[in-house]
Amino acid sequence: MCRRLYVLALLTAGLWRPVAGQATDLARLRSRADSLSREWTRANAIADLADSLERERAFAGRDTIAVGALRIVTNPSPLPVRAAAELAWPALDSLYGNAAQDLARHPYIIRAFDPDTSVPRPAVFVGIALPWDMTTQALAALLVANPPMPSPDQTLVSWLDGTLRPGRRAVEERTDVYVQLVTAPSTIVRACFLGALAACRAALELQRSGDALDLWYPGAAERRALVTRSFADYFNHGAGAASFQACAAGIDSVCKTLLLRLPAGTLPRPLDAEARTTLLRAALRLGGRDAYRRLLADPGAPMGDRVATAADAALDTVLAGWRREILAARPPSVALPWWAVSLALAWATLFAACALRSSRWRLG
Amino acid sequence: MLYSQWKWSRLIVFFGALAGFALPLVSLQGAARADRSPLAAQDLLRAVQSWGALYPILAAALGLLVAVATWAPDHQGRHVHALTLPLPRWRYVLLRFASGAVLLAIPVAAVLLGAVLATATATPPPGLQGYPLALGAHFALATAVAYAVFFAVSAGTARTAGIILAVGGALIVVQVVASTANVDIDLVSPLRFFILGWAGPFAIFTGRWMLVDV
Repeated sequence: MCRRLYVLALLTAGLWRPVAGQATDLARLRSRADSLSREWTRANAIADLADSLERERAFAGRDTIAVGALRIVTNPSPLPVRAAAELAWPALDSLYGNAAQDLARHPYIIRAFDPDTSVPRPAVFVGIALPWDMTTQALAALLVANPPMPSPDQTLVSWLDGTLRPGRRAVEERTDVYVQLVTAPSTIVRACFLGALAACRAALELQRSGDALDLWYPGAAERRALVTRSFADYFNHGAGAASFQACAAGIDSVCKTLLLRLPAGTLPRPLDAEARTTLLRAALRLGGRDAYRRLLADPGAPMGDRVATAADAALDTVLAGWRREILAARPPSVALPWWAVSLALAWATLFAACALRSSRWRLG
Repeated sequence: MLYSQWKWSRLIVFFGALAGFALPLVSLQGAARADRSPLAAQDLLRAVQSWGALYPILAAALGLLVAVATWAPDHQGRHVHALTLPLPRWRYVLLRFASGAVLLAIPVAAVLLGAVLATATATPPPGLQGYPLALGAHFALATAVAYAVFFAVSAGTARTAGIILAVGGALIVVQVVASTANVDIDLVSPLRFFILGWAGPFAIFTGRWMLVDV
């Protein structure tokens, strides 16, 4: 009996030591995390204070330039701020419509600096620091690309893969989308190109529900191509190699299983962000000056509904208009233009004439 | 003159025509198969683009070889035969140029025929189109320019050809020396723009040589 008690006591003592050790470690880690949290809060408070002081300083002794609803707070310098703002405002106003009036409450803050000076610039400042020899066009492009509009909701940002900005190369973007519609290895994209609006809806991720894999890649061939081309490195090793081989051999169920095993958000979208941006621009054009406000009005609504609401039209009408625009932006044909033909013939004639005038046989 | 020229350059013309006929067919290989996936549009375009790089090379090679072959017998015979003919030089040169150009029409026609045949038998995915006539015209113009350039060089004396080569070589040497000495001189870019820019003599060799495109 005593021996049993002795063994039990030994076991208890042996088990207690690691448990006690674990408790100590936990307490130590907790105290370290608390200390980090305190430091984080303090650093944030200091950063906020610096930011607020700098913001105060940024507005003090500066000029405010107003063009439309654009407000630009800047220090006196030769930087062509007004001229650039006059170029930028129509682009911003045409995209955001009435929502562009919000810019009056969110001014740009520009710190123009002498590009030739060796005086060190402050490391902490609010706004954009720009050399004052910038051209009007470059500055206008910068204003258009960085409007201080309030950030849209996360659903819209993730659908668009970014935020909506006025397009400086709208025609080229549409041409790129045309090429995507023709060349993307996806049956729904091809069907969209051929005029099936339901396929356009799926390709542009405007469906209300459904599994992304089934919606985007409904065919066995494209699923196999997806696994063997886009994710060969991911699947074709270790334990997954056998499944990869089976999928490559044409067993669709295996391909589907493999694709379902992908981490969320890694399945390639049938069309890239450019396509969705061109669609949104088309919807905003269709919807008039309040379209952007309507787009942001209900962040919880499905994207298809939001696009339709922004356009103030049925989604199919928006999609049909978008498709027409994309088809109209077909890239120029590879056929040579008349002037290239004329130039080539002129050069050939010129070189032939040089041969006629060559020095051979000439006396002296 | 045409017959004698044919004798000198028939091998070049034959192999050039063969290559020109085969090139479009090879570049669209597989596109004619019924089981080809319509999803492979990008692969098809990539293949056509890769093979397309060979058209300007073939055009330049044909122009060079036929131009050299056109003048080779005259150079070998020290122009004695030409001098015995009751013809002014310009007319003789014109006849030589014309006969070479006629022979070059054979490989150009072969490229056109091959391109027409390749696109007629292929079934490209929706959205892609064949451009056999545009490709044929592009090839014909590139061949004509290459032929005219090399014909002009061959028609001159060795001294003229030497001067042209020396000028080109000197420019390259100056550029290399300037780069080594950290001197900010860029001779190559303006030269490239002059030669290959949109209005340059060799602009026709640039651009997209696509038999099938969007």
